[in-house]
Amino acid sequence: MNGDSGRAAAKSIVEFLFPFLVVGLLWELAVRLHLVGMEMLPSPSVIVGKLWTLTIRGVLLHHLASSLYRLAIGYVLAVGLGIIVGVALASRRLLREMFAPVLSMLISVPTIAWVPVLLITMGLGDRTVITAVFLGGFFAITYNTMRGIEMVNQGQLNAARIMGVSGWRLFVEVLLPASLVSVITGLRLGIGYSWRALVGGEMLSALVEWGIGKMVYQARFWNDVAVMLMGLLIIGFSGFLLDRVLLKWLERETVEKWGMLAKR
Amino acid sequence: MGVSWRKHKSSRATGSRWWLPALPVALFLAGWQLLAGVNLINPSLFPPPTEIASELAELYTSGLPTRSLLIGHVTATLSRLLVASVIGILSGTLAGALMGISSRLYRFFDPLITVLMPVPGIAMAPLFIVWLGFGDPTIIALGSIAAFFPLAYNTAAGVRSIDPQLVRAARMMEAGKGTLLFDVYLPWAAGYVLVGVKLGLARCWRTIIAVEFIAAASWGLGYMIWDAAEYLRAGVVYGGIFLLIIIYFVIEKGLVNTLEKFTVERWGMVQR
Repeated sequence: MNGDSGRAAAKSIVEFLFPFLVVGLLWELAVRLHLVGMEMLPSPSVIVGKLWTLTIRGVLLHHLASSLYRLAIGYVLAVGLGIIVGVALASRRLLREMFAPVLSMLISVPTIAWVPVLLITMGLGDRTVITAVFLGGFFAITYNTMRGIEMVNQGQLNAARIMGVSGWRLFVEVLLPASLVSVITGLRLGIGYSWRALVGGEMLSALVEWGIGKMVYQARFWNDVAVMLMGLLIIGFSGFLLDRVLLKWLERETVEKWGMLAKR
Repeated sequence: MGVSWRKHKSSRATGSRWWLPALPVALFLAGWQLLAGVNLINPSLFPPPTEIASELAELYTSGLPTRSLLIGHVTATLSRLLVASVIGILSGTLAGALMGISSRLYRFFDPLITVLMPVPGIAMAPLFIVWLGFGDPTIIALGSIAAFFPLAYNTAAGVRSIDPQLVRAARMMEAGKGTLLFDVYLPWAAGYVLVGVKLGLARCWRTIIAVEFIAAASWGLGYMIWDAAEYLRAGVVYGGIFLLIIIYFVIEKGLVNTLEKFTVERWGMVQR
């Protein structure tokens, strides 16, 4: 899969895109042969045409940029606070016994269900969407950070303590690397939840004008199925790319970290 | 064995210091009640817990002789969840099993699933409203799709992990295609399928609540919460979210327990 040679990469990209090509062709054929109506299901060529006009007019870029801006702020906050709270819960037994059950109940609440509360308390604009993005990522990251640190080998920890490592150094050089696999799981889950919360939040917040979720939602008022389908494809591919790009990058980081640990 | 360990630990923790997790919740609620009572936080945005409770009670009693409003919303959502998750789980397991058996099918459908999976159900709602209209058909269709993906994905992964010796042995004993699928592949993948069921159910639940926000005709917990938010009835919004927490907690605990029994039974069967 992650072969380093360019040919293997090119081959896997072609293999990845092939099914989309086949489905697209069958779909186009079905529409051209009038097996389904154009209003219900516009053909891929119409969708691609729409994609082209919206791209050259800059509309699509504007939507994507506002979405990514909200995602970046909300997600970075979720990562920062999630890791801090997760570490705090893992390192203080009392805190964990007090808050872990509440946390596991709050995780089960669909992030989108917080949106009505946020709309009431924070208004109908950007702040609501960004907070939803934050909440989406925060719980998953907190929970997995906590679990990861809990599972760190106690002997390893004691050894580090005996050698005089404590405080910030203990955290950065021992705890974090040892719990990294679980933390990264949290980060991956978190970006998925944040992405979904972003799209949902944009759709439901009335004063938000731009954003990829808003684009799909607004298409409803003109029954513009082509824009809806295009938006869904973009949402899917972006979510996939975020996961792949972030995951790949983090994997490389972990591999490097592991290598460093082995060398020592 | 992992399961028994977890049970043991949690029962010990709740046995001796059960009040610890209740403490912050109680303090939080008491503080909220107090602050809202003296108007330090806006009680129309953050109605005190007692008012939330009385709003819920009022929703329960309204229309009671014939049909309680609250019960109506809850049953609407739960029946959608039941239908959608059954459709999604069955079709997802079947698709996953086929993808697991044939690597050609896997290579074809895997990219499609990876791209469609991160699309939230609520984003598909406008499309499905155009296709199927407001109400049950749209909500159930999107709930089924939400449950479908984790099952297809996990079942395929489980079936692909099968020991080829087993398949060869079954083939030698002249097992037909159906026998092979239901008696060899699926039992092997049962653990994966169960994980898929848990994930699928959670996704189905989330999607149904979210889609009810914008596509429900007039019933459902999601509709109830959304409608209350539009009319700034904060008490009903908080009460609704509280109900969401409780209901899903019950579903998950009930489901996990039955699933555990199911796996233990499977184990027994295998050993016998």
